[in-house]
Amino acid sequence: MELKIGVPELAKALARSQGIVEKKTTMPILSHVLLEAKKGGKLHVSATDLDVSVSGEHDCEVAREGAVAVSARHLYDIVKSLPDAQATLKKAQNNYLEITSGSAEFRIVGLPAEDFPALPKFDKVKFAAVSPKDLLAMIELTSFAVSTDETRYNLNGVYFEPAAGELRLVATDGHRLSLARKAISADFGLKKGIILPKKGLAELRKLLQESLEGAEENPEVKLGFVESSAVVARPRVTLVMRLIEGVFPDYRQVIPKQGEKAVKLGRLRFLETLRRVSLLSSDKAHAVKLDLSPGLLKVLSQNPDLGEAKEEVPVEYQGEPLRIGFNARYLTDVLQAVPGDDVLLELADDLSPGVLKPVGDDGYTAVIMPMRI
Amino acid sequence: MEQLDDPSLRGRPVIVGGTSGRGVVCAASYEARRFGVHSAMPTARARKLCPGGVYLAPRFDRYGELSDRIFGIYRRFTPLVEPLSLDEAFLDVTRSRALHGSGADIARAVKRLVREETGLAVSAGVAEVKLAAKIATDLGKPDGLVVVPEGGVAAFLAPLPVSRLWGVGQVTEEALARGSIRTIGDLAAADPAALSRLLGGGGGDLQRLARGEDAREVVPDAQARSIGAEDTFEEDRLGEEALLPQLREQAERVGRRLRGAGLTGKTVTVKVKYADFRSITRRCTLPAPTDDGRAIYDAARAQLERADLSRPVRLVGVAVSGFPGEGSQLDLFAAAEPVAARRRALNAALDALSERFGSGAVRPASAAGERAIRWAVKPRGKPQGEE
Repeated sequence: MELKIGVPELAKALARSQGIVEKKTTMPILSHVLLEAKKGGKLHVSATDLDVSVSGEHDCEVAREGAVAVSARHLYDIVKSLPDAQATLKKAQNNYLEITSGSAEFRIVGLPAEDFPALPKFDKVKFAAVSPKDLLAMIELTSFAVSTDETRYNLNGVYFEPAAGELRLVATDGHRLSLARKAISADFGLKKGIILPKKGLAELRKLLQESLEGAEENPEVKLGFVESSAVVARPRVTLVMRLIEGVFPDYRQVIPKQGEKAVKLGRLRFLETLRRVSLLSSDKAHAVKLDLSPGLLKVLSQNPDLGEAKEEVPVEYQGEPLRIGFNARYLTDVLQAVPGDDVLLELADDLSPGVLKPVGDDGYTAVIMPMRI
Repeated sequence: MEQLDDPSLRGRPVIVGGTSGRGVVCAASYEARRFGVHSAMPTARARKLCPGGVYLAPRFDRYGELSDRIFGIYRRFTPLVEPLSLDEAFLDVTRSRALHGSGADIARAVKRLVREETGLAVSAGVAEVKLAAKIATDLGKPDGLVVVPEGGVAAFLAPLPVSRLWGVGQVTEEALARGSIRTIGDLAAADPAALSRLLGGGGGDLQRLARGEDAREVVPDAQARSIGAEDTFEEDRLGEEALLPQLREQAERVGRRLRGAGLTGKTVTVKVKYADFRSITRRCTLPAPTDDGRAIYDAARAQLERADLSRPVRLVGVAVSGFPGEGSQLDLFAAAEPVAARRRALNAALDALSERFGSGAVRPASAAGERAIRWAVKPRGKPQGEE
């Protein structure tokens, strides 16, 4: 293998692989990227952790075809530091890779390309086009609520559910839930919802962002599902992720109907208040108390070791008074993610879930379970 | 207590204690006390004093269950509950009065609820200080209510014998008697120097108590840290199959006690003691706190599988701990889960049956062989007369 490629193009390809390769060294090959020089001046750069794989195609001058696998991190670090705009990659004996750029020369240890796991290849994927902007917005409204508790593996991803002309994305960690909806006519050929894994979502996000930052006029991304995998394709890049096998809980059941007590709040004002007051919350739980009474919302925190904080927010509320505890993080996560100036907080009682949504936008609903006070 | 579960015992002298040759009396009914039987007396001696008494072995699980329930009632009135024994506690209701009325009102309410919910009669004493409250309670036993008016503690204590005071045992009592100090009033009025001579120093604290000065606060016990059940088999058992029925029965028992105390816990611990007396524990944390016997059993069974079961086992036990306190995050799906809702309804129905027919009256068939339940067969409320 021998080829000449633009350094920025190679850096972009390697950046994409960094999130996917395994940091742990249980299987050294999984910390490697596969470089394949193909006929017609193409370099294929692939990375996989066996659950999520990405593969990109890049223009270059191929002097000799061939393939080798090298440490993704080391190659990326080298490429980022190269002095010239062009680099030559050449496979030497014993799977060494020689990188030359300007007067700098590197020789790094590689592994035979044959050792690299076969990437999933699907021939008959029924793709549907989605707007990267819409999909990215929906992922950003939900992914923060994904559970990080590995014992609840069915919550370690975002539920993707096409339903009657709309797409729904739902994430929950068992304490709070985020639901984003968007009218999308695309037919994904799914009979029921599927669960996209957290790591795959992070890569999908990067890919969508890349697509939006690209030069294309109307960027388009295609999404398809086959054999318990999701395949995302944009021109010259393919991302494949294995879906989480498991049953996503019945989220519809935990979304309260109409809250008895509804209070409208300025989104940024509420966000800043919560950030300030939660400075004195206990470290782990971020507990704040909301004390709602006609015309006034008091946000309070106390910590036996530190002290207490209080802030009053005037509100147009005329209902029954209520005192309820929340993990401030669950509220601020939502307030940071949603668009618009105002949010509506709907509450029932101190042991029932609260609902937070942007005013005048039914595309998003957050459900947050309170803390005992 | 035993008279409560078995109506045929009512009105008869009942003695609970170790029934072997070396046992001592744990508790005696008021009928038995008339024969001079009291707790901590060797059972053999009690048998001589009261040959016609009914002698029973203690059932600690059942007492624990009732104790949880009684403390649950206490905690409805104040979080400041300092346990003294299985059924006795100090309650600091200073800040509960706005909600629940005066100390006397609260005492009456507690007595009524305990009787309604457990069938037991309890005595209560209300006073400004712990010492006087305890003495007032003792004076009211078995079913009384003694209220010491505000500012009246010293006057209330004065006529009582000094032996009522904490820290006054036989030796101190005799020493005080040599100085003609017989009542608490005498002690309160005694010359400190003379007192010091009689007692060899340390009389000051005692005198302050006698004057009703007891600055000790009610120190709430961090609520029960765990609720568990364990049983030693009559003969060692070998293999998982032989242990599971007992585990199932224990899980149900623990669930019932949790529900009685209004607690839910996240951590399930299984204890196995082998024939050689070495014991091991295995524990796990559930995603959400539970009070359901079935959920406890499922977790316990999974933990049991992690233990070496190729050796004979003499004891198994299950305990639930990790009770969420203030500031604990509630679970979104726990309440809405249809299975959980059905389990809750089932447990409530089972608890009602246990309440009426004795604990464990209805139990899973898989646990049916464990622990014959003699007190479950007699319907309650039909007095069987004095036999």
